This record gives sequence, structure tokens and C-alpha cells, in this order.
Amino acid sequence: MFQYIIKRLMQSLLTLLLLSFVCYFVLTLMPGDPVDMMAAGNPNITSEDMQRLKSLYGLDQPAYKRYLNWMGTLLSGDLGFSRTYKIPVSDILGPRILNTFYLSVFALVLSLLVAVPLGVYAAVHKGKLTDYLLNLFAFAGISIPSFWLALILILMFAVKAGLLPAGGTYSVGQDLEGFALVWDRIKYLILPVLSLSFMQIGTFERYTRGAMLEILNSDYIRTARSKGLEEKKVLFKHAFRNALIPLITVVAISFSYIFSGAIITETVFAYQGVGKSVYDSIKSNDFNVAMVSFMISMIMVFMMSLLADIFYAVVDPRIKY
Amino acid sequence: MRLLFITFSLFFTLISAQAAEKPLKIGISQEFETLNPLIKQMMATTYIYGFVNRNLVTMNEKGEYIPMIAESIPDFENGQAKFITENGTKKIKANWKIKEEAKWGDGTPVTAYDVKLAWSTALLDTVSVGEKKTYSQVERIEIDPKNPKHFSFVYEEAMWNYYQLGSFYLLPAHLEKKVVKEHGEKVEGYAKNTLYTKDPTNPGLYNGPYLIDELKLGSHLILKPNPHFYGEKPNIKTIIIKLIQNTGTLEANLRSGSIDMVSVLGMSFDQALSFEKKVNLMNLPFNVNYKPSLVYEHIDLNMENELLQDIKVRRALVHAIDRKKLTLALFEGKQQMAYHNVAPLDPWYTDDPKKIRHYKPSKRKARKLLEKAGWKLKDDGFRYKDGKRLEFTIMTTAGNKTRELIQAFIQNEWKSVGIKLNIKNEPARVFFSQTVLKGEYPHMALFAWISAPESVPRSSLHSSSIPTESNAFSGQNTGKWNNKQVDKIIDELEFEFDSEERKNMVAKLLKIYTDEVPVIPLYYRSDVSITPEGLKNYVLTGHQYPNSNFAEQWTWETK
Amino acid sequence: MNSDSYFQMILKEFKKHKMAVFGVFAIIFFALLAFSAPLITHLTNVSPNDQNVFNRYLPMFSKAAINNNDAEMRLEKYLKANPDVVKDIQTFQAKHPDYIWDEEVEEWPYDFLYFYSSIDEFKTTAKNSPLDGVQELVDLEKSFYRFHILGTDELGRDVLMRLIYGARISLGVGLFVAFISAFIGYLVGIISGYLSGTLIDTLLMRFTDSLLALPQLPLLIVFAAIDITKLPLLEDLVSKDSESFVKMIIVLSLFSWMTVARLIRGSILSVKEQEYITAAKAVGSSHLRTIFQHITPNIMGPLLVAVTLNIGNSILWEAALSFLGLGIQPPTPSWGNMLFNATEIIYESPSLAILPGIFIFITVISFNFFGDGIQQALDPKS
Repeated sequence: MFQYIIKRLMQSLLTLLLLSFVCYFVLTLMPGDPVDMMAAGNPNITSEDMQRLKSLYGLDQPAYKRYLNWMGTLLSGDLGFSRTYKIPVSDILGPRILNTFYLSVFALVLSLLVAVPLGVYAAVHKGKLTDYLLNLFAFAGISIPSFWLALILILMFAVKAGLLPAGGTYSVGQDLEGFALVWDRIKYLILPVLSLSFMQIGTFERYTRGAMLEILNSDYIRTARSKGLEEKKVLFKHAFRNALIPLITVVAISFSYIFSGAIITETVFAYQGVGKSVYDSIKSNDFNVAMVSFMISMIMVFMMSLLADIFYAVVDPRIKY
Repeated sequence: MRLLFITFSLFFTLISAQAAEKPLKIGISQEFETLNPLIKQMMATTYIYGFVNRNLVTMNEKGEYIPMIAESIPDFENGQAKFITENGTKKIKANWKIKEEAKWGDGTPVTAYDVKLAWSTALLDTVSVGEKKTYSQVERIEIDPKNPKHFSFVYEEAMWNYYQLGSFYLLPAHLEKKVVKEHGEKVEGYAKNTLYTKDPTNPGLYNGPYLIDELKLGSHLILKPNPHFYGEKPNIKTIIIKLIQNTGTLEANLRSGSIDMVSVLGMSFDQALSFEKKVNLMNLPFNVNYKPSLVYEHIDLNMENELLQDIKVRRALVHAIDRKKLTLALFEGKQQMAYHNVAPLDPWYTDDPKKIRHYKPSKRKARKLLEKAGWKLKDDGFRYKDGKRLEFTIMTTAGNKTRELIQAFIQNEWKSVGIKLNIKNEPARVFFSQTVLKGEYPHMALFAWISAPESVPRSSLHSSSIPTESNAFSGQNTGKWNNKQVDKIIDELEFEFDSEERKNMVAKLLKIYTDEVPVIPLYYRSDVSITPEGLKNYVLTGHQYPNSNFAEQWTWETK
Repeated sequence: MNSDSYFQMILKEFKKHKMAVFGVFAIIFFALLAFSAPLITHLTNVSPNDQNVFNRYLPMFSKAAINNNDAEMRLEKYLKANPDVVKDIQTFQAKHPDYIWDEEVEEWPYDFLYFYSSIDEFKTTAKNSPLDGVQELVDLEKSFYRFHILGTDELGRDVLMRLIYGARISLGVGLFVAFISAFIGYLVGIISGYLSGTLIDTLLMRFTDSLLALPQLPLLIVFAAIDITKLPLLEDLVSKDSESFVKMIIVLSLFSWMTVARLIRGSILSVKEQEYITAAKAVGSSHLRTIFQHITPNIMGPLLVAVTLNIGNSILWEAALSFLGLGIQPPTPSWGNMLFNATEIIYESPSLAILPGIFIFITVISFNFFGDGIQQALDPKS
């Protein structure tokens, strides 16, 4: 088991390294650079100014050299300097990682809490009206554009009803403590978490239902039932536990979807997370921030899939590494 | 009775005190960056700077230069500015004095050494200053060591607009001098170690009416009054500036009360117009403020293009666009139609039909001009000459909704006189750095110049400013207009110290400009900002000096 | 087994899935709409780019005068075809000389067109005129009003028409991406599956898996920001108008073939073990022949499901990228960029943002139901 984890970590590291180069290279293919951006906002900048800044920033060097430079500073523990904000990258991204972590974990937990019971219920009541309606609900979740949903949620709950804030991360300028602080953070999380979970709820519900159905139809459950075991016991002790296993894989894969979704959700809700900084930095050509946020998101996704595999092994003792 | 009166007055003072305590939450949609005055580049940072730092001079809402941290503006009349001749070149020496009471937020007096530190640091090769010219046009700074509030600038060229030059922000020498000394030699060493980045809430870094209480880049900042501010004490006790880039979410925040107002760097014009309609319809407690600005939206024509070299075609292009209708339909008349590159706020402005040429919107006239130029209409509705279609490509910044609207409008207008217009848009950074700055667009480029009042149009109209390989693409005469008369006027204008004479010269220049049509003028942009009904003394400036320079005057209405 | 009855059996199973049947109809409806868009323009004389800047942001079900240029053109056409009317108008004009508003009027009555904005004034005076031609003109003018069922957008363009043309883009992107990614996935899957166990298989599958694990949107954002016209191969192929469309297809195709590849490989592995392939091999059938004649028909079902689901997903991705301002560039209408344009004014004109969202939603859910229906029909057990 331990060896397996080490092996997986090494593989992930290698993939990360490879991806970092590909991403860096693709970023250099993007038109313009941070200095060009300055010219766009400021008509007084002369070509001499631009030339001077480009050589100061090392932007006049070929892509591979810039990549090596970047890798060098990264390995020395320096995440680099943001060209947009003109401060160290670590200062920007530090708090944002935590914010995104809250957002995605809450969204994941919420969608599982809603989807799994619904999926089990639908499987047990297969063919009934509730199953039908739940199926409709699940498909709606998968098919709805999340940014659109986010806008509608803002329109309904923030603007029309005035119940929740329309965007932001927390109330600015209030010194809150204890429960008030927690509640304040939660208030700002409700709408983003809702819009982010909706799609996952659909996916998870369908998988739970499918897995449950397969197991309920299996010989093993039939045997259990024929033995005269209590239906509740059959469902939860035998069927549900076995259905959990395929769900874990889905959850692990879904983490990358949640992260993609977070980019849009954070952008619409002006929520200070890594997802938003991925988008902002790519748009403003802020290489260092883009690369670091990109790597962070990859690492998060890799870690989740590794965790899922370990969890898999714990739940299903048949699997040996 | 008397008791009642006292209670009443007490009650009112309480209320008004409360009103003053009420924080003002401002929404902006543009990013801001580190607050180091030398390194900052973004418009939003300049906006924030108005609250926390002041420079020597600024411009008020009437477009006049007024002293800020300086006692007065040195001029020839009060004898504080004079010509000097050094090594055969004529220069100007101006004596400045910093206000006696001016102090940094930690109580240290502001001195000429702060001016000198900013200037000398900006000139270092290792510091990434954007517009170096702002600093380098001051050749040297002379300080009287006995009286450090006094200093003199020696400007490298004797131009009448000397006092606008070298108007940069100061660096607190008592804090930043050692940083510059320690890290100034390394590339970007200063940028990485400046206290503005390491300790941005240090009060000693700011000399404006407000100090930074909390700063989160990419999110928000909180401002509190500066107890050592030399001027009027600010009325509003807390100002919060929130960054919300998605303009839709920005508006949602305004409507739900998470922010009180939107600054000029907030909503798009179209959005503000729609919002104003809603405000009037539903009686929402907001004011929508407009102010014509110095931003001149226009279409630069590539004068080296064969089709556009024909003046009849150029004039037909202008006649065919109903610009009045454009501003009425798209901006409800709240942005003014442009005749030329000088904005109405500028003292040089004129729309006198005797001085400049007006172009009546007339499709008929446009058609006639095109016929005369030999462009004949064919069955497909477009004009042809020698088998070639009258066809242009217009380029602008992708994603700028207003410009995209204008393109679509003009495309329609020209289609009705038989001109085909293709639209090709690029991301802003590519458009400006490649296409505009190098003059690489095939026919037309739609964009704006942001000018200052009485600024000599050397960089945009003089033939020496045509960007070419040989001058390393410096100069912004991207339309490559080459007119000897205009060159001559510009050359003389910079050294003409009589303001009336300058006006006459500019009128001559505008006559040529409107006769020749090297550029299609569209409109002058307006600044728009949304404020809550209770906010008073809020005035928009309409130029590059933001109205936050007067933030200490803003106040909540007390009822 | 008779293939005809097999198909009928599937159809029967498919029909049981009510929502899938609904999905098929919705898809057919949108496809017809998209396909007949030019015809609709031809019949109604409304094009998605017709502007009417004085009638911007009209609510649903409103009537608006068409823009002056169009009105002038129509009048001119009409007058040229009806010299009698021209004569009448000349008589009318002689009686009302004050109808020359400007010194620039030269060739009455055509110049009258130029002052079209004064038509209201003309109408009031012309009301009691006994001249037929004048009345005809007034009647004609009534047809210069246009009914906007779903209102107008920021340039006074008809929203319904833009939605219809948007269907072309959205469905087009969806279909192209699905087929291209199916093709790539098919190739990768077949190579990998056929060579299962070899190094090539391992490498291909590692690559596929790591692409699957990546968060897609950041990658898409980066790729969508590249200027594809700068790439040497595409430079000549892509025209200015279709640039963003082609780019969208390429970018989305690059990141959506993985599921198909996995699926094909899995199917091949299972089919490979089945007897008839072994038999075919024993007979001496070549590798390629084995693949195309025996394996491909057997995996058509799952492939179809994957393609259908991919269409829905691609439409969603296109909308998401357009929403971030990186998708289809205006003035070409796509549901995504219509929504993007409307977000700013969602509180003033909510229908502008809600409608494209609903269109996206219905289309995507239809494809998802359709895919689900096929899956169930092919494998009734699940």
C-alpha cells in the first residue's frame, strides 16, 4: 500500500512537470504580454518604455529560457512575482487557496448529502412517479449552464428578495468574531455553493441510482432477501455499501469538474478563490500567477484521485496493491 | 422649553454624527495593484491614489491646474518660473514650495527630499517605471538644505506647459530611502521590497486625507481618515472600495446594498443608461452622474492606403455616418458628438462653423461624392471601380461592447451608400501593442485618445511621430498623416507662450484637420458614476485626474 | 438475427423512454429551426443583424418602426415600380410646397425618402388627400412596422431571429465537436484496444487518463486565447467571419475525445475475446478488416451514446467560454455570447439573459435524454 502511494506520487509529479511545460508553452502562444497590456490602458507609454520594460522583465527571451528561469525560482521556493499586482504571488494566492477549498468541499459535501439519499430512494422506488421526477431533476442538473443558474440565483435571492449578498467573499469593514464571523462567511457561500453543487447532484444521483439498481438485482441481494433478512438491513448494510464503491471513483473524477465550475462560479460571484485568479491571470497574461494557480488546481485534482484510490482500498478489502 | 431645545439639538448632533460615521462603500470593476507610486500602472490604482496620496498639482473639474501639496504653481508672472540658458539651450527653472503643514500619515513633514527620492528612484534602470518621460523631463532638482520645503525643478526643455510636467507622486524618504539603497541595484529589487508591498498599511507611506486601514489586492481596501492631513478634514469616516469585475454582479451589489455607489471605473455606459431608466421608473435612491470627458473616440484612417488617399472617399465616409443619430440612439445624447480631436472641456475647443468644417449627415452627399470618385453602384448593392469593390476592414478591441455596437452601426450606415465594411477585432493587448502602435491595420482602427487639456498633439499628428521601423515605432501618428502645415503649427505651438495666440494656432490646425479628414471623429466619451442620493459634494472631473482628489469634501447629507 | 427486427426492437425500447422521445422531437425542432434560418429570414424579411438603434431593449411582444435606412430602401423600390404613385405625390407636393424641408432636396420624390423621419408629419397632411397614390404610400408605410415577439437587443436586433441563428452556431459547434472527437477517440481507442498490452497501448491510455483528470476549463481558457490565424496551417483555411467558430470547434475537440477512446477500447477488449473474432482471425482475416467488418458494427451503439452526450456537453462548454468572453465573437450570434452580452443588463432586461439560457438548457437536456434513451434501448437491463 505504502509503496503504491509513493509510486502514484512519483507519477503525479512527473505528469505535473510535463504539464507545467506544456501549459507554459501554450501561455506563450497567447498574443501579447503584460507590457503590451500596459500600452492598452495608457496612451502615454512610448515604444521605448515598452522595450525597456520587456527586457527588464525578461520577456524578450525565448519561451524555453523563460520556462527554465521560472522553474528555477519555483524550485528555490519562490513562487515568483505577479506582473498584474506587482507583489509576490504567494501573497495573492495564499488566502485564495483556502477560499476555494471551502467552496469546493462544501459543494462536494452538499451534493453528496443530497444526491446519495435521493439516488437510493429512486433506485428503491424504481419506475414510480418519484423516480421519474428525480430522474428529471438529475438531468436538469447536468444540463443547466451553471453560470446562468448563478445569475438567476443572484437575481432571485440577492436582488429581488434581498436575503443573501450578491457577491463577494465576506463582509468588508466589520470586525466580526466567533459565530458571527462563521455565519458571515456562510452567507457569502450559500449561493456559490448552490450553483456549483447543482450539476454534481445530478451526476451523483444518477450514479448512486445506477449502482444501487445493479446491486439490488444481483444474486447476492436476492439471497440475502430470501434468507428473510429485514429489508432495511438489506438495503443499507449490504446494498448501499457495495454501491458506494463505484461512487467513490465518480467523486474523485468530479473534483476536476468542481474545479472547472469554481472558475465560473467564483467569477460570477466575485468570490476570491484560485479559480477566479486562474481566469483573471490568464486574461491579463500574468504568467506567474496563472502557472502557480494552474499547478495548484492540478495538485488538488491529483491528490483527490489518490485519496479516492486509498479510500477505495479501505472500503473494498478485495482490492490489493 | 429650553430643555426640549437642548434635547433636540443633542438629538440632531447625534444623528449627524451617525451620518458621518456611516461608511461609504464604493464599487469598482477594474483591478488595482500595489500602491507604490512609481510602479503603479492601472487606472484604478490612480483612483485609489486620489484618496491616499497627493502630488504637486492636479486638475479640477473645470480643467484648470491647481496646486495640491505645493503651495502654488510657479509661473512667470509671480516670478517663480524663469528662463535660464545652460550650454546654449534655453531651459525653464521653476521654484516650488511644499505646503508648510504637509505631513506624512505618521507625522513626519513632507520635504523636498521626498520629491528628489521619487525622481531619482524612478530614473534607475532597475525600477519598472511605465512612463519614464514624466520624470526624465526634469533635468535636475535643486534643494536648499536649510529650507527643505523649497526646491527647484530645472526642465530640460523650455515649453509653456512646464508645470504640468514632472507632476509625480512623492516617496517618503524617511521610510523608503533605505529600501532603495539596499535593493535598488538589483533588477526589480526595489519593487519586491518596497514598504508599499511589504507593509501597505504603514501610515507613513501616505500623505492624503485618508490612510489605508486594510488592503486585499483583487478584493477590497478600507480607508480611514489621516489625522495628520494638512487640508480640510475628511467628512466621511470610513471608505471601503470593493472590486467586483463582473459588471452584472457589480450592479446586483449596488441594488442589494452591498455597495453604496459605483465609481467612474465601474459600469459600462450602456449599463448605466439602462440603470438610470430603472432609477427613474422605480424611484430608486440613486443619482446617475455624467460628465463629458477628454476621451476622444474616433476612427483612425490609414492614409497610406490607396482607397483612403482619395479625399472624396474620406469625406463621403464622414457624410454617410449620422453621428448625431449615433450618439442619440446609443447614448441618449449623453455623450457628445465629436468634430475633431479637441474636447469641449479643453480651452482650445471650437465648433464655430467659420473656423472648422462641419459634415452634415447626408447619405445623398456621400453617394454623390463616391460617384464623383468613380465608384459605381452594382446590383449587389456595393460600389465598384475597375472591378474592385469599395471595401474596408475596421479593427478594434474585442470585448468592448460599446465599440462593437458602434462598428455594427457604422457597418449599417455605410452599407446604405454602397460601402462594405468588414469587422476584425483583436484582444486589447494585441490591438494596441501591435496593430495600433505599429500602425499595422489595413484601413481603419476604432479607438480612443485620452488627452489632457491644452496638450500639443505632437505624438498623434506630427509627421515625425509616424511609427516606423527606423524610429523603433515611437510616436502615435498611426494613421500616417503627413501634412507639412500641421507639422509647422505643432512645432511652433509648443514654444508659444501667449495663450490667445495658441488658441488661434490650434483653430488653424483644426481647420486643416476637418478639411482633410485624416481621422473620422465620432464622439467624446462621458464619465459616468452612480452615487447614493445622500452623498453630497461629489463632482466628476472628466479627465485623467480622478475625482478622488477631492474626496475629503464628500459628505453624507444630514437631515 | 434479422437486423431489421433488431432495429425495431431497439426502437420499441426507445419509445418507452418518454423523455428521450421528447428529446428527439426537441432536437428535430431546433435542427429544423437552425436549418431553415435563412428561409425564415427570406420569408419574414428579418435578418439577425438588422439594427434598429432607436428601438433598443424592447420588451417581448412589442411593435417597432423599422429603421430609416430600410424604410427608405423599401420606399424607393416601391416608387420605382409604381410611376403612377410618383405622379400623385408630385401633385401632392405641388399643393404643399412646405414639404421641402431642406435646401438639399433635389429630386423629389426620391428625396422624400431621405426625410423619412418626417413621415408622421406627411401622414397627417396626406390623410385627406384625394390622390390614390398618396394613400397607397401611407398604407405602405404601415407595413414598415415590425413585430418583435421576443423583443430586441442592445442594437435593436430581433431577439427571436438571433436565437434562431444562434441555434445554428450552438448546434453546429456541438455536432462538429462530437463528430471530430468521436473520430479521434475512435482512432485512439481502436489502436489502443487492438494493441492492448503493448507499450503503445499503455502510453496512449496514460495520456488519455491524465487528460481526463485535468480540470478542463483552465485549459480551454488558455487554448481559446490563442490566435489560431497565426498558426501556419490554418491561416488560409479560416476566414475572418468563421474564425472564432472554427477555433471553438478545434479547442473543444482537443479535450473531449477521451471518454470515447476509453469506451471504444473497452468495447474492443470485450469483443476481442468473443469467439467470432477468433474465428475470423483463424480464417485469415487481416487486422484492419477485423476492425472494420467485425468490431466496428458491434460498438456502434455505445459510440452513438457517447457522441450524443458529447454534443450536449460541447454546447455547454461553448456557452461557458462565450460567457467568459472567449467564445464566438460578435456580431455572429451564439446563445453563449447573447447571454454574455445580456448579463450586464440582466436587471433591466432579464428576458435577454433568460431566453438564451433556456434555449441552451432545453437543447442540452434533450441530447442528454436522447443519449440516455439509446443507452436504455440498447441495454434494457440497466
